[in-house]
Amino acid sequence: MYRKIIKRSLSNMRDSYLIYILACSFAIGVYGILLSMGDNPSLHFALRFWGSFINDTTMIMSSIFAFCAFIYMIYVGGFFIKQQRNEFLTFEKLGMQRWVIVAISFFQTIIVQAIAWVIGITLMLIFQKFMGMLLFYLMRVRFNFEMHISLSSIWLLIRVFFISTLILSIINAIKTIRILQKKKRRPLIKTRWWLRIPAGLFGIILLLTAQVCTLYLFKDMHTISYSAKPLTEIMYIMGADIFGTYLVYFGFLPSILNIMQRIHSVAYSGVNIFSFKYMKERLFQNISILWFVTELSAMALALLTFCYFGYQAVHQNYNSAYPFELAANKNTVKVIREELKKNDAKVKGSYRTDVKINLVSYYSKAEQSYNRQPMTFMSYSDYMSLPKRMRKGNSKINSHQFLKIGFSSSVMYNNHEKEHDIQVKDAPMIPTAKLGYSFPYGSSMHFGPMMIVPNKYYEKMPAEVKDTFYGWDFKKGDRLSHAQMQKLNSYRDAYYMKVNFKSTLAKSSIEVMKKEPNKYEAATYTQAGFLRQGGVKKRFKQGGGFYLFIVALFSVALLIALGSVLTLRILLRDDYQSRQLRTLQKIGVEESEIKGIIRRENTLTFLIPIIFALIQSFVAIAMFDFGRHISKNIILIYGGYIVLYGLFGLISFQVSWRGVKQKFNL
Amino acid sequence: MQIAVKNISKDFGKKRNAVHAIKDISLEVDHGEFLGIMGPSGAGKTTLLNMISTNQRPDHGQIIIDGLDLTQFHDRDQAKYRRNKMGFIYQSFELLDSLNVKENVILPLALNRSNKKLIEERFNHMMQLLNIEKLSDRSVDELSLGQRQIVAAARALINNPEILFADEPTGSLDSKSATILLNYMQLINQKEKTTIIMATHDAFTASYCSRVVFIKDGVVFSEVVNPGNRDKFFEQIINMQRTIGGGDYFNVSQNY
Repeated sequence: MYRKIIKRSLSNMRDSYLIYILACSFAIGVYGILLSMGDNPSLHFALRFWGSFINDTTMIMSSIFAFCAFIYMIYVGGFFIKQQRNEFLTFEKLGMQRWVIVAISFFQTIIVQAIAWVIGITLMLIFQKFMGMLLFYLMRVRFNFEMHISLSSIWLLIRVFFISTLILSIINAIKTIRILQKKKRRPLIKTRWWLRIPAGLFGIILLLTAQVCTLYLFKDMHTISYSAKPLTEIMYIMGADIFGTYLVYFGFLPSILNIMQRIHSVAYSGVNIFSFKYMKERLFQNISILWFVTELSAMALALLTFCYFGYQAVHQNYNSAYPFELAANKNTVKVIREELKKNDAKVKGSYRTDVKINLVSYYSKAEQSYNRQPMTFMSYSDYMSLPKRMRKGNSKINSHQFLKIGFSSSVMYNNHEKEHDIQVKDAPMIPTAKLGYSFPYGSSMHFGPMMIVPNKYYEKMPAEVKDTFYGWDFKKGDRLSHAQMQKLNSYRDAYYMKVNFKSTLAKSSIEVMKKEPNKYEAATYTQAGFLRQGGVKKRFKQGGGFYLFIVALFSVALLIALGSVLTLRILLRDDYQSRQLRTLQKIGVEESEIKGIIRRENTLTFLIPIIFALIQSFVAIAMFDFGRHISKNIILIYGGYIVLYGLFGLISFQVSWRGVKQKFNL
Repeated sequence: MQIAVKNISKDFGKKRNAVHAIKDISLEVDHGEFLGIMGPSGAGKTTLLNMISTNQRPDHGQIIIDGLDLTQFHDRDQAKYRRNKMGFIYQSFELLDSLNVKENVILPLALNRSNKKLIEERFNHMMQLLNIEKLSDRSVDELSLGQRQIVAAARALINNPEILFADEPTGSLDSKSATILLNYMQLINQKEKTTIIMATHDAFTASYCSRVVFIKDGVVFSEVVNPGNRDKFFEQIINMQRTIGGGDYFNVSQNY
């Protein structure tokens, strides 16, 4: 008989269980894949360059993932026990012993967990190779990912299954005991409008001030390196958003529904008379969950924003530092060419640019200091003849404008400001120069800032030092061997420049030294001989791919977890709420109207958290995107998140309506 | 004649497990008639009521109300017809706990998007007619079972339905409450000329009807017409119940 009871319970809530089991299976599958990837031999072989980093990271990530999934299972697993409250109490009234009821809930949990684990492990077996290939693809590694699960991974999975299932079953058994001990009727929700209305208004004020503060943050963020104001603003915005949202859910939204319900011209029209009250009740019940989901969604969006801008910053920095696979100057170009000939490297493109080095002095606004230093000058036409990627991070200039390329001190770049009144030795003063951070031939090839000047200016200007930069792109790398690299190591520094600063620029000069000076002085600069970035590029792409893989996996998992929590909250209506819908049907409410109520409920449950999460995540954009327009990519990322979230809402509505229809024979 | 039921039948389940709930039933109901449907448990009373009220579709046959064959109507049109022309009283009251008495009563008019003035007028009229003015602001939880059923009756009648369907309306009530409710139903039947079709297995309840149709195993077994004397009619009903063998211990004493 007990088997029948369990079977019937599982069958009655099959739609809800299916969503829970699929969400759990996804989590178990991802956990298994991350775990088995850690000790996959093909991954080790293909990424031996990374040592134990990949293994350690996947292990840490799988542990974090498992922990989060476990919390999710504890939380959501409790919904089902709550749903069976009346059933358990009836069993007790009929004389069933308490320990038997507790055992039923215990075994029910074991069965559900076992099914989830079986599907999860199957997913892991099916998708391990696919996920491995995806990882290799993202890391741009051309290697065949072999499917492999070590005995230690299997043993660990078995142990995790037993321990987690046992703990979950015990937790659910305890929840059942508490239900049987309390036996309370459905708790009446206290409306307490005297508290809700002021709390809701205060919440709205908090949210509005947070948004105003966010607008200020867009303006103030660039002062973060020397002012505490942006940090104070961020702290206030976060606090105001989190508490404001809760207070709006607690007070403002129910008050709005209450007002709507009291306006008879609105409320006494169609199903509004019922639905406003129904929604209010559902809102009262779900305040904490909606708030929880809102904050986690905001966190997910903020994380995606940080990841995007972090990746952009690293990528931009990488681009500005390493534009060519191999770069050299006039001192080293001969020896490099010889070495390239020896290993038969396939050159895809080669570039050559003359530059002049001269002394400059100017007041730097960003650094708030007066600078005197040597600077590399390049003509506008030479700059424009280089590949587009060299100019990507720089302000656009025309043939009459100046562009100063410097090293950035902040994480994000701000190209809006300009540099003024730059004095150049024996050349006209540069009144205004736009700013940029992408160095042609790579920042490491330059000892200091660089200036792109109009062709005429370049031709007429004198030079303390003249040099030529060379750059190569290859098909399948430069193929320089270890021995060749050791030989080339002695050419890393081309020459040294000692600047003799006098009272004026005209009197100052640069002394070029071939040999490394014994004692480094403040005014001594080193010109790099060559720069090899092929390996770094590969490493960067691999690291970036791995990072994308992990972030994408976690984001999707978070989305599934949040979506399924909301869906289950909607599906698992208590008997009282189901009865109300049933009554409406009996007294002649049309199917389409009941469907409308379900639709409204779904919309309210899904729309509110995403709107508030979007409002909150705006601050994350402000923290990084200061002084720039909101980038298209961020809109795309947010759009993707909303679409996937909306998809959950749509599925939830369909499943919910199907459940109601089946239950009421509509 | 307002309602004509022609050769309707209804099966539940499939193939071998199929249960023939209604087998080829035909009956007619006049305008303003108070018709009772009686029979033992499982005889098909509720199914017949549900089919006449368009809550269920018959497998075969026709249900013609005011000359319209409702079995040919689309679900949406049936629901509209049901909402405009019919009222319902159930054994379990089917009141919405989240709404107060007034909101429950005016619900059918609100669903029809009637204007506020009409809603107030009809509400006040029903409250006076059923003598429940004092209850209007109370919540459903605060009402006795008898009061709940009267409120349910008020809701069923507020949109002035042409036909009132009552499925075991006194099933959850004590005899005093049941008598009050039945008196009101009779009052409505006489004053408002509302046709009432009531399914019951209680002889006392059925004695308020003008005619009682007895069904057994899905077919019409017989019918008894009220001779104008309620005591006599009650006796006739009990005799018929004895004949079919459907009366239970509480409804019909074995030694009556």
